[in-house]
Amino acid sequence: MSELRFDDVSVRYGSRRRAMTAVDRVSLTVPDGAVVGLVGESGSGKSTLARAAVGLTPLSGGRILLDGEPIRHGSGPRPVQMVFQDPYSSLDPRMTIGESIAEAVPRGTGSADRRREVARLLELVELDPARAGAHPGQLSGGQRQRVALARALAARPAVVVADEITSALDVSIQGTVLNLVRRLQRELGTSMLFISHNLAVVRYVASEIAVMYLGRIVEHGPAEQVLADPQHPYTRDLLAAVPDSAHARPAATAADPAPTAVAAAEPADPHAPPPGCRYHPRCPVGPLVHPEREVCRTTEPTADHRHATACHFAPARAPLARLTD
Amino acid sequence: MTIAPVPPTDADQPAAPSRRSAAGTRWLAVLRTPVGAGAGLLLTVVLLLAVFGPVFWSDAADTVDTTAAMQGASGEHWVGTDALGRDLFARVLVATRLSIGLALLATLIAVVLGLLLGTAPLLLGRRAGRLVTAAVDIAVAFPGLLLALFFAVVFGVGATGAVLAIGFAGAPSFARLSHTLAAGIADRDFVSAARIAGVGRVRVLVRHVLPNIGEPLVVNATIGAGGALLAFTGLSFLGLGVQAPSYDWGRLLQDGLSGIYIHPEAALAPGVAIVVAGLAFNLFGEAVAKGIGLTAAVNGAYPVRSGPRADTVPAPVTDDGTPATDPGPAAGRPVLDVQDLSVTFPGPGGLVRPVRGVSFRIGRGEAVGVVGESGSGKSLTALAIARLVEQPGEVTADRLEFQGTDLLTGSERSHRRLLGTAFAMVFQDPMTSFNPTRRIGRQLAEVAEEHQGMNRRQAMGRAVDRLRAVRVPAAERRAHQYPHEFSGGMRQRAMIGMGLMGEPTLIVADEPTTALDVTVQRQVLDLLAAVRAADGVALLLISHDVAVVGQVCDRVLVMYAGRVVEDLPAAELGTAARHPYTRALVAAVPDMHVDLDSPLPVIPGRPVDPAHQPPGCAYAPRCPLASARCTVEDPALADDGTGWRVACWHAGEVADLAVPGAAPVAVSLGERA
Repeated sequence: MSELRFDDVSVRYGSRRRAMTAVDRVSLTVPDGAVVGLVGESGSGKSTLARAAVGLTPLSGGRILLDGEPIRHGSGPRPVQMVFQDPYSSLDPRMTIGESIAEAVPRGTGSADRRREVARLLELVELDPARAGAHPGQLSGGQRQRVALARALAARPAVVVADEITSALDVSIQGTVLNLVRRLQRELGTSMLFISHNLAVVRYVASEIAVMYLGRIVEHGPAEQVLADPQHPYTRDLLAAVPDSAHARPAATAADPAPTAVAAAEPADPHAPPPGCRYHPRCPVGPLVHPEREVCRTTEPTADHRHATACHFAPARAPLARLTD
Repeated sequence: MTIAPVPPTDADQPAAPSRRSAAGTRWLAVLRTPVGAGAGLLLTVVLLLAVFGPVFWSDAADTVDTTAAMQGASGEHWVGTDALGRDLFARVLVATRLSIGLALLATLIAVVLGLLLGTAPLLLGRRAGRLVTAAVDIAVAFPGLLLALFFAVVFGVGATGAVLAIGFAGAPSFARLSHTLAAGIADRDFVSAARIAGVGRVRVLVRHVLPNIGEPLVVNATIGAGGALLAFTGLSFLGLGVQAPSYDWGRLLQDGLSGIYIHPEAALAPGVAIVVAGLAFNLFGEAVAKGIGLTAAVNGAYPVRSGPRADTVPAPVTDDGTPATDPGPAAGRPVLDVQDLSVTFPGPGGLVRPVRGVSFRIGRGEAVGVVGESGSGKSLTALAIARLVEQPGEVTADRLEFQGTDLLTGSERSHRRLLGTAFAMVFQDPMTSFNPTRRIGRQLAEVAEEHQGMNRRQAMGRAVDRLRAVRVPAAERRAHQYPHEFSGGMRQRAMIGMGLMGEPTLIVADEPTTALDVTVQRQVLDLLAAVRAADGVALLLISHDVAVVGQVCDRVLVMYAGRVVEDLPAAELGTAARHPYTRALVAAVPDMHVDLDSPLPVIPGRPVDPAHQPPGCAYAPRCPLASARCTVEDPALADDGTGWRVACWHAGEVADLAVPGAAPVAVSLGERA
């Protein structure tokens, strides 16, 4: 398996005046055999980064390297494969699931071998190989997502990108897909970029977590560190927002001016990202609450803390070497 | 506000018949409609005539009999004869082949050329594709008849020129159509997936795009053939088409026209033939288009299934065993009192009941949550309460009282007034719940004008005040903005504000935060809690997210297969639930404390198809506690005396995992969801 590296990647949509920078100079590494969870809200550029990785969206800057080499999208299955969010639109309704999977099997495989390979893959994702002749309309959402996973694996990918693969599924089914992803990842040692807006899901699957906000990675580090000791205020916000039935959330105290000011703030418009730190109009430790912190409005912070976080006022600690280098 | 009654959607889509037979059934269904059958018959006759007409009547049509020239209709010659004494009826029949054949040929040219041009942008890539599209756009704007005349001049007067002219003239509109259809398919994820899998552009086109745009193209080609027929006879009539000695209907029409005052039959007969053939093509195309569209919609809602017909409109008991008669607790006089609420839809295999005998009460200021998988009937229950279930859906209940007013009897008008002021509904998708062409403030003010008789200014003042109440910043300014200028969270706030325009005693929120990001979700939930606390408004919160409901509500109703299976205090949801389904649902949600070393708990099997309710407890096939009794008798929703209701024969028991077959994982691989 292999290492996927985003090196200063930018993706812009539209042209000149109406252009929108969906991904802005992102550098991120998915190490060999690791699962990197990418979290962030809608419009943060997560899916664009995923589409760029598989070559569906052209880059406007930077490089994407696989084992140090630029990815070539020639003929044949691509080395980075993707599983899409919506299993209802990611399978051709007019093809049997066997045909869909076989399509991704590398060329030059005989038809008998191809059939055997499809059966093996269906078994791998815990579906009955005898159902290869079924059409997607005959499968439930969870089963379709398994087929999509099998198709991605059929191409013998170096890296798999999973873009919100459980968000279209019911909770009762989500678990089966997550269990499968974890089992496959452990058995096959696939490197994975796992995108989700659900921190609990990412926590379950990922070994590293990267947090994205308005096209930039604002925090990145080993999963347990990011979750236990979040450095960036946006990460802390995300964590606090996770609804938790077992542990009641402490009510916001009225004496604290921060929550009210921050609660009224609207999510920023990706078409017009604010200057300086992009999070400052919503930040509970930024100029909204501490007017003297002008630096947030003017200067974009760079990541130089323990695990990388892009904030001027991350909890002051001795800056350690970045773990992600 | 229109709500389509399409309750079960995604995850539990049950098995549909295989594609080929499904498509076949659809075409057959088209032929079963009166218009479809008539048009199909007409088209068959026309096509048979085109094939066999010349075989049978060729001799009669070509026999020159100068003694009988220019005769009127008679027993011997049904529509008379022409200048050379040839039988005109036979000639009209024989001309069918040439007329239809040339029209089809022209259509074929138009379709093939159109497909090539329309799909070229997919093959050529961005820059060249854009050029082709622009060229097609210009060609579409060019008048077709002028193009035909131009080609007629270029290719020379005659059938060849006319066929090419009509074919080329029809190509741009087909190119535009196939381009639009293909672009829609090319945007779908499965095409992206195929590209990632290394499938080349041509193969993507042939394997994925063409099969998925085939049906609408065939329909349009059929209608196009009718148009080509008319165009072609037009050209022949003008002398630009078929030349003597060949003849088609247009040519016959022209010949007959010269003697129209002497014997009009000679012109009328080919005229009638043209009208009949044109109608046959157009009607058949329209019927198929309508039929395919229509049956697709029905299939979307409920898959075609054969099966035993459900009983007609439900008496509350009937097929689901003992009904839930105990409506549960409510502090003081309830705001909402629902007993044995059922919703019925006609399905292809009989009546389908996605909501079956739901009973509950909501007290003043109480927050009640409803959780369940998609297809459990939770949203439909909310719509039924709001009287928003539309035909052909039917709502029945023993009791449906809102603030003591019976919503089942009395006038629609007075109910609308009551619901308009005292009842608020918040929908899942804040994108579609506002009219995009009107300002937010006006849309809010409308409620007050309609139901409270305020004038324009007072209503606008109230709207701004309400927007402020739901913490929309700069409410004054934002009231004058359009919905698209609001973010998703802001729009959801404005929606809640709209509900607060009256003096609501109950807010029904159907998945209000599902479309929002987590940080925004928290803001909206906090807002709902604040509104509730400030005005003592009761809340019915419907969500698939157990955690959200547990956080906001006092009491939770758990729904499965259209019934309430447990009604318990929200605080006990995570720890003391008694129904095995409730426990499984809670366990299936990963939270921030889930053990990373063990697999996530899952619910085996798949949700129940509303068209196929099993006898007994609907959850029995997936339940680790299920016993023989569960598969026969449906347990009633019984109150334990404290207001806690549960419908289970084994409530509170713990699954014995040592028993084989009882463990949740013991399910064959193919059956896993």
